[in-house]
Amino acid sequence: MIERNPILSVKGISCGYRNTEILHGISFEVFPNEKLCILGPNGCGKTTLLRAIANMIPFTGEVIACDFSVQKAQRIKVAKTISLMSQMNSLYFPYSVYETVMMGRYAYQKGIFGTKNAEDKKIVEESLRQTKAWELKDRLITELSGGQLQRVMLARVFAQSPNIILLDEPTNHLDLKYQIELMEYLNEWVKKGQRCVVSVLHDINLALNFSDKILLIEDGKSVMNTSVKEFSLSILNEVYEMDIGNYMKTSLKKWNVLEKNGAIR
Amino acid sequence: MFMKNNKNEKAIIKNSVKAVFLLVLACVTIIIGIGIGSVFISPMNIIQILKSFLFSTKLPEGIDHIYYGVVTGIRLPRVLMAFLTGAALSVSGTVMQSVLKNPLASSYGLGVSSGAGLGATIVMITGITSSWFGALFLPVVGTVFGLGAVMIAVGFAARMDRLQSNNTIILSGMVISLFLNAIMNMLATAYSEYTNKILLWQLGTFSGKEWNSIGILAVVTVICLVIFQKHSKELDIMTFGEEQALIMGVDLKKEKNLLILITSFLTGTAVSFVGIIGFVDLIAPHVVRRFFGSSHKWVLPMSALFGGAFMVVCDLAGRTIASPSEIPVGSITALLGTPFFLYIYFLSRRKG
Repeated sequence: MIERNPILSVKGISCGYRNTEILHGISFEVFPNEKLCILGPNGCGKTTLLRAIANMIPFTGEVIACDFSVQKAQRIKVAKTISLMSQMNSLYFPYSVYETVMMGRYAYQKGIFGTKNAEDKKIVEESLRQTKAWELKDRLITELSGGQLQRVMLARVFAQSPNIILLDEPTNHLDLKYQIELMEYLNEWVKKGQRCVVSVLHDINLALNFSDKILLIEDGKSVMNTSVKEFSLSILNEVYEMDIGNYMKTSLKKWNVLEKNGAIR
Repeated sequence: MFMKNNKNEKAIIKNSVKAVFLLVLACVTIIIGIGIGSVFISPMNIIQILKSFLFSTKLPEGIDHIYYGVVTGIRLPRVLMAFLTGAALSVSGTVMQSVLKNPLASSYGLGVSSGAGLGATIVMITGITSSWFGALFLPVVGTVFGLGAVMIAVGFAARMDRLQSNNTIILSGMVISLFLNAIMNMLATAYSEYTNKILLWQLGTFSGKEWNSIGILAVVTVICLVIFQKHSKELDIMTFGEEQALIMGVDLKKEKNLLILITSFLTGTAVSFVGIIGFVDLIAPHVVRRFFGSSHKWVLPMSALFGGAFMVVCDLAGRTIASPSEIPVGSITALLGTPFFLYIYFLSRRKG
């Protein structure tokens, strides 16, 4: 077996806001073409962990992205390696879709008057096509539907040409159809080259379907870090304080009954 | 591939045409602003007078020398001051809206103007001068007080509401503005010999401005506009919120501090010369975005042009509608601005 180097390795991260520590020494590694999902109950520090990885908040410990330490690197360098997609709550300024996605190239447009060169244009077009949003390019983002906006924001993440994409519950307010659509685009993306996805998803079902690995966090500590195939339901139940397996089984049973009665054809 | 980007290039050409149109409109407004008043001076004569004023040539036959005095001594400085003030305030409003990712933000609404006004009032009453700063003393005081006010307003908003939602910032800015205005009113009452001057000045006036102040404001406005223009990409990205700006590689803390400092300087300078004038900084960017899109590369310079022209018209209205008495220009802008503010506020509420 060939030894692979992780794209992202998180080594003993601790951090918090003001005087309360939220994360207590979390470590994990993500390898090329892997999708890791962070699970845990509300307030366990999932979002904080993502923000630390992207070096948005101060922390102790170390995050190595590709080959450099995120803490010591310049913002522009981090931006070329890590991107984040979160819920877009408020868009007040009517930029065109094309302008919005072009902003993803900011880190590459060195120099203050850096003009949009041919490569930037090419990458923006590719990104928009990858998420099937090219035909929207002249529309204003304030006029888009939720599903369209999600595709545009994902195109912007792609345009950043990152190696690591972080997802912070981006699909929470969207229909199931769009949640799955987003996961499919990311599935395609992560297959190529030195890439990985680290996501925080609320829906355990979606998380298990989409990810290769699960990191379970409780009260700022990692309680399970394993592949989806090997993860322990009993620990999951304990952390979420409910019988998740039973819930899923019950749903499935109801589904089967519906199917038997001919409700689902 | 180039075929596909045609539309993008078309948009640039379209915007350029609109920009030229706006520039012509601004020039026409300036000429009209100079022409109308107690005596009417025709545009042709104004152009002749300006030509002889700028290039020190001889005035052609048939133009009254009194007109020359009226244009160069009274109306030109007044109209230029109005234009520059409108431009400065509009540009600073544009930047405020981006930095606070809030389309309802403005230097006036956040208390920068009131803060700068209070600073200038204190200078007026105490009669302090400083040889160190010379002619820049008043602008510097205005900047310091304006900056103080916006920092208190934003600080309060952060304490009240961790997410710093749009409404909290607006509310907090209003509260600070009202508080500072109250102090100014108290000072105006306490120092009765200054009452009229302070009260008039609270609503802004362009009359009796010296070339000296016009020169300073012109230089400050141009320099600030150039700096903002260089940061137009960051301004674009910052409208998407702090998290997005950070992840795209913007050095947020540095950018934010720099931009707020320079905006306060620009507003502080304008306010310290002409008094407190509101709403133009809110309206101009909105109108401009409607025609030119949201990209700050366009919005900044076009806001300056539009805001300048708008202010010239407001001043013209102020001094002609109830002539021979004068309506303070701040009242005119507020008269037009308040319905506009409500329109935008409720429009964005209905959407969001």
